[in-house]
Amino acid sequence: MAVLEIKNLHVSIEDKEILKGVDLKMQTGEIHAIMGPNGTGKSTLSAAIMGHPSYEVTEGEVLLDGENVLEMEVDERARAGLFLAVQYPSEIAGITNAEFMRAAINSRREEDDKMGVMDFITKLDEKMAVLDMPEEMAERYLNEGFSGGEKKRNEILQLMMIEPTFAILDEIDSGLDIDALQVVSTGVNAMRGEGFGSLIITHYQRLLNYITPDVVHIMMDGRVVKTGGAELAKQLEAEGYKGLMEELGLDIEIEED
Amino acid sequence: MAIKTKDFVSYSDALKAFSSGLKEPEWMLEMRLSALEQIDKLELPVIERLRYNRWPLWQVPNLTGAPAAKTVDPFEFVDDKADAARVIQTGNDTVIETLPESLKEKGVIFTDLHTALREHPDLVKEAYMAKAIKPESNKITAFHAAFMNSGLFLYVPKNLEIEEPLEAIFIQNSLVEDAFVKHVLIYADTHSNFSYVEKFLTKGDEKNAANIAVEVITKPGAQVKFSAVDQLGENSTVYFNRKGYTHRDSSIDWALGVMNTGNVVCDFDTDLVGEGSATDLKAVGISSGRQTQVIDSNVVNYGNNTEGNIFQHGVILDRATLTFNGIGHIVKGAKGADAQQESRVLMLSDKARGDANPILLIQENEVTAGHAASVGRVDPEEMYYLMSRGIEQSEAERLVIRGFLGKVISAIPMKSMRDDLVQTIERKLTSR
Repeated sequence: MAVLEIKNLHVSIEDKEILKGVDLKMQTGEIHAIMGPNGTGKSTLSAAIMGHPSYEVTEGEVLLDGENVLEMEVDERARAGLFLAVQYPSEIAGITNAEFMRAAINSRREEDDKMGVMDFITKLDEKMAVLDMPEEMAERYLNEGFSGGEKKRNEILQLMMIEPTFAILDEIDSGLDIDALQVVSTGVNAMRGEGFGSLIITHYQRLLNYITPDVVHIMMDGRVVKTGGAELAKQLEAEGYKGLMEELGLDIEIEED
Repeated sequence: MAIKTKDFVSYSDALKAFSSGLKEPEWMLEMRLSALEQIDKLELPVIERLRYNRWPLWQVPNLTGAPAAKTVDPFEFVDDKADAARVIQTGNDTVIETLPESLKEKGVIFTDLHTALREHPDLVKEAYMAKAIKPESNKITAFHAAFMNSGLFLYVPKNLEIEEPLEAIFIQNSLVEDAFVKHVLIYADTHSNFSYVEKFLTKGDEKNAANIAVEVITKPGAQVKFSAVDQLGENSTVYFNRKGYTHRDSSIDWALGVMNTGNVVCDFDTDLVGEGSATDLKAVGISSGRQTQVIDSNVVNYGNNTEGNIFQHGVILDRATLTFNGIGHIVKGAKGADAQQESRVLMLSDKARGDANPILLIQENEVTAGHAASVGRVDPEEMYYLMSRGIEQSEAERLVIRGFLGKVISAIPMKSMRDDLVQTIERKLTSR
């Protein structure tokens, strides 16, 4: 069992403090959801965990099995077991999707244990079938000219190919229609198991109808303000963030959309 | 190196003997001698952002006709392939020349230029330095016309489509001191359609000059796909002129990998003369060490509804210089012409010098034209994305660069050549 623990995390972007002390602990076998209004720091949390160069951690720790990942380079964090699926991945011409994923898988393997082309293709075909992706997408350039939905499927495909210990999904549901949402959820649910944990960041409860979380955290104004079970998401859907704020006695400006 | 008039004219007798030893037709000798006289009167071609008047480009080749004292083993560089359409030259000698019987029967000529001048003098005369590159254009072309010492001729007859690419490999022999004045002439007859790939290499470390001219002439409706990987050596100072000339409704697509290690001017031009003709010029380059490479791509739209597209991407390492000039020129009267270009340079070192210099010269109103140019560094967002999947920084950088140079790689029709270009790119990037 692996454990991911976020302790008193403070993060700034261009000297503006976005995260003001986040605490969160999860382990493999669990799926956690983070919900919260826009502009509350959910995406900042995911980017800071992964090590995006624009985010500055000013205080706190992110521990993966007791090791502080904040001291690692981005690629080291990934190889240690972290994965981040994003809404707007980079488009990189000239590198095929397949080539990129094979490079990613082999970056985790020893020189004498690289994944061969045949094994790779077999696995790729299998995962692409789960996600209902046409074969030709493997040979297209990485995200280049992909639609929003294709990019998100492609993020989940990478997740299934790389099989990380902990996956953070950052608003992977936004802009998806119901069919695409089901496909993406099928992919994430297929990963569910003892050796895998996931932290799902979402604005809406909708995704959680397909992927039932074990734990739900509500984030507001750079902090986790409430933690509960799957029913917390349902309560939030019914009462809205305003209702929750009243219950918690919080007075925070939030962006309604 | 100072150029003295009497130096060149004094080669007149040697040239006559050289030409006669090769049994060249009369017109060829006349062209040589007339060009010889003009070398000193003509100016160097102007290449924006480059001063190269001190480059040692004026080495006169050995005109005795005697074989080189040291020869190059071609199999050090190429595999033995039976029944391919292929010409391999080491130095001034053609060492392998194969053409499938089926193509010979249809009238394809793919041979040593000296041989072609003896066997098909009239056909060569129609195209050789007559349409695309002219002896009297400038000092470089005049020098070339006078001292051309070896080359290749490819002729594809009317209406013939060839599936498999024709391949030429030229290995400069720098085991000996000699100028490399190579001429490649490609003559595509009406409605022919084929691909041609060429590779330039250097064996040896002698400090030699090279003055290379490649001409592609497409008759009406002909379609030529031209690919090249240039890997001339560190001690070769090169003026490399490739020029296309298109008749009506014909096209030339260029995919050029500029991977030399010495100082090189790449003067890549196409004259879109016939109505409705087109060219798509893609060039990628890497400069490393202390070398200078300038890629000067110039497309001139003369005909109505002609389309010219220039795409140049390059990477600079170490203390090297890489300059892209993109010149799109639409002359008065070329209605409906289109001139587009994109030049981008990626700098991987603080000490590198890069330039992307777009020039549009438009003398007609009813036209479309556009350009994009940039000089920059590897996008940190792209690096972050690749690394967030576990790929190490050096590998991620390599992938981004290969992607950046990828458009030319994918345009090359022959797998061995694509692999060769990819390996060359990897080698240059990892030798940092």
